[in-house]
Amino acid sequence: MTPPVAGPPVHSEAGLATAEHGIVMLDGPNGVAVSMTPSAALATGEGLVAAARLAERQRRKG
Amino acid sequence: MSVSAIDTLRQPRPSKDRPALTSLFLKERGREAMTPEEIATLENSVDEVRSIPARTIVIRRDERVRNSSLLLEGVMCRYMDDRQGNRQIVAFHVPGDFVDLHGFAMRYLDHDVATLTPTRVALVGHDRLEQIVEQQPRLTRLLWFSTLLDAAMHREWVFRLGRLEADGRVAHLFCELHARLAMVDLVRDGMFRFPVTQIDIAEAAGVTPVHLNRVLRSLRERGLMTFRGGEVHIQDIAALTALADFDPAYLYGGGPTLEGSGS
Repeated sequence: MTPPVAGPPVHSEAGLATAEHGIVMLDGPNGVAVSMTPSAALATGEGLVAAARLAERQRRKG
Repeated sequence: MSVSAIDTLRQPRPSKDRPALTSLFLKERGREAMTPEEIATLENSVDEVRSIPARTIVIRRDERVRNSSLLLEGVMCRYMDDRQGNRQIVAFHVPGDFVDLHGFAMRYLDHDVATLTPTRVALVGHDRLEQIVEQQPRLTRLLWFSTLLDAAMHREWVFRLGRLEADGRVAHLFCELHARLAMVDLVRDGMFRFPVTQIDIAEAAGVTPVHLNRVLRSLRERGLMTFRGGEVHIQDIAALTALADFDPAYLYGGGPTLEGSGS
């Protein structure tokens, strides 16, 4: 039996973003499968970059 | 189209001349253990057979239901709409499925049921199911098993939507359909008819139609499967199964044990 874990895992692999017919699609990691308008994808991307930089600073502080 | 417009065909009572209506019910999942008397009881429980056009709502959410539908031909679905009217398909039904048997115990459904293709259904009145429950414990267990199969599939659909990415979700869905249709002998050399639209598949897989289209192209280019004009061709079931993380155990091939709790 798989040992119990505390919630879904934190993923270390990146999702795959593609564009088709003017729509941005993001696949993964782990169950992510979304389609976005270009503006929504840009805003999401900027938000992800900002959050990633903040998370890196948090890790450095320990 | 309203349900009242459905073409209703009254059936004569079962006879030796009429082919069995229920022959696909639990095929390869318990039907083989049914006695001739149990099969006759099930056949005699059919009140009427209806032909229903494609894209017809058969049962609406919160509507009182007084009979249950055994799907004889075609494809049906259960679905829920969000507040914007976007549909999420929560189950596909194929021939042999007792689509809304749970309505017997629940009286009302918490979702809508519709046809996706032209269908034929055998309607079994809840009064007849009541008689079966009172008089035939083995047959009752099989009917119960049928609703538990639905629950098992719903759990797998939650897993599919929560854990798999778009290509895995679509692969998993087609692996399931392949396995279920094979049980009712509707697969030939990896090919089967499933004449629904890409939008239907997208609504079941929780992706947009554009996303679904890209996934189908990817699966085709990788030589795993094709879906064209309602025809599915599984070309590499092993690779598709691996991509989908698919384990058919939840479909309970072979059926339940009917020999009592001690066996």
